[in-house]
Amino acid sequence: MFESSDLNIRNRQVEKLWRLAFLVMTVLLILPVLAILGVLVYKGGPAISIDFLLTEPKDGMTAGGVFPALIGTVWLVAVALLASVPVGVAAALYLSEYAPDNWLTRVINLAIINLAGVPSIVHALFGVGAFVLFFRFGTSILAASLTLAIMTLPVVIVATRESLQAVPLAFREACWNMGATRWQTIRKVVLPNSVSGILTGIILEVSRTAGETAPIMFTGAAFFLPFLPQSVFDQTMAMSLHLFVISTQVPGVPEALPYGVALVLIAMVLAMNAVSIGFRMYLRGKKKW
Amino acid sequence: MNRNWVLIVILALVACAPRSQEAGKRSRTLIQNKGSDTLVNVAQAWAERYKEVDPNVAVAVTGGGSGTGISAMINGTVDIANASRKMKDKEIELARSHGIDPVKWTVGYDALAVFVHPDNPVEGFALEQLAGIYGEGGEIDSWDQLGLEIPGCESREIVRVSRQNNSGTYVYFKETVLGKKQDYKLGSLDMHGSKDVVDLVQNTPCAIGYSSLAYATHEVKMPCIETAEDECITPSVQSAVDRSYPIARPLFMYTAGQPEGAIKTYLDWILSDEGQCIIQSKGYAPVLPVDCG
Repeated sequence: MFESSDLNIRNRQVEKLWRLAFLVMTVLLILPVLAILGVLVYKGGPAISIDFLLTEPKDGMTAGGVFPALIGTVWLVAVALLASVPVGVAAALYLSEYAPDNWLTRVINLAIINLAGVPSIVHALFGVGAFVLFFRFGTSILAASLTLAIMTLPVVIVATRESLQAVPLAFREACWNMGATRWQTIRKVVLPNSVSGILTGIILEVSRTAGETAPIMFTGAAFFLPFLPQSVFDQTMAMSLHLFVISTQVPGVPEALPYGVALVLIAMVLAMNAVSIGFRMYLRGKKKW
Repeated sequence: MNRNWVLIVILALVACAPRSQEAGKRSRTLIQNKGSDTLVNVAQAWAERYKEVDPNVAVAVTGGGSGTGISAMINGTVDIANASRKMKDKEIELARSHGIDPVKWTVGYDALAVFVHPDNPVEGFALEQLAGIYGEGGEIDSWDQLGLEIPGCESREIVRVSRQNNSGTYVYFKETVLGKKQDYKLGSLDMHGSKDVVDLVQNTPCAIGYSSLAYATHEVKMPCIETAEDECITPSVQSAVDRSYPIARPLFMYTAGQPEGAIKTYLDWILSDEGQCIIQSKGYAPVLPVDCG
């Protein structure tokens, strides 16, 4: 019969202790999330109503709703996605499926990592110089969205590349052995098997794009604009900047209003994410491996 | 393949949804208005009301500071720059070198109020006292030197609240209260907005701060300011209108050259009784006394 020695017992106790310590840390991680959501719902909840979502700000932005900002953020995110997803996915496809391991590829990889590390306010300055002034887009949705797109490109590229590389090499080899070209392999085998990962990248991008303030405040977002944008060359209000100005610059704003705006912004991002997450789960369910 | 197409269709729908809602409405003129954080709330109120005056003109308002607005006008990205100070000679030269001849419009006046905590017993300040508190080399560092005892302020030290140096308010206070050549004393708390100044002062018994009267709340006290004639004038819209308050400044809008069309109409409306009553309701003084009923 095996009997636990003192050493065995001590080891087991130490093991339990560490397990508990790690668990506590993990739970601590959830607390801030719950606290943020709790405060937002508690303080901002009373401000939320259908009217709040569908009317314009009024009385010097101390009353009324957020409609122009809401629509503005949808525009900014949509145009940014249209610009960054094709470029990002194409770049990731090249890097994952075609690029040989040489100095050029390494330079490109280094550039992507560095692009991800550039602070958003620097992207804002670049956006003003490049899109607003040089390309003469003026302060517009186009300039703001392109700035956001450049800022979020690394997220899309990295997420896409990783999901492409998660597709086993054997799948590709099987396809090549049937005489398929690289492009045919990508279209029929690699992409269908990695869509869920690519969507994850897009989800991350949506969250970041909708929440960013610095890159849009000089390139396309207005403090106040009581009309909805009609084209990508118009300026627009945006939720994130609206939250910033009503909490720092407008006197006499009731306390619930900024919290309400923050709550709507978070709910918006969660809703957009939910659509992609649902779609992703559906695709994953159809996966055969 | 089908899956990819679904993805593309979803993206396209997201992009087109707002467009299809807007389709069918006629196009309108957009006026870009940017600059001073002091003026931004009035500019917003004008834009909000102007929507009813002329629904075919949209006015986009952005803050950022007087300097930001002026350089955007020089770059040609805005139609009207808001400024709580005059353009500097250097800026005018730069504008000329871009082929722009800036035109100045005085749209109102702003009383610069000095704020203290409501528990502070002070009645009024002389400009020399303010210079002694804020100015470089000024001797006044403690409330004791002014013979004041403030409940809740044990250190007796004057906590100076000021603005960041691209603020028009910062420049105007310096030129008017400290003197053109004089600089600020180091060690002040430099806030990024007028609202922050008021928020900080109302929560800090030892503090003194300054900003536009329009940002005043009921939670701060505004001492009167002594004039050269030994009168102590309380900051108010009225004392700014009749120019009796000693630290009131003009507020400007700048256009690139003489404005035409919608921009001219908008500026004329701002200077009309309706526009001037709006600036008055926001706590600033109109250019000329108006009767707003």
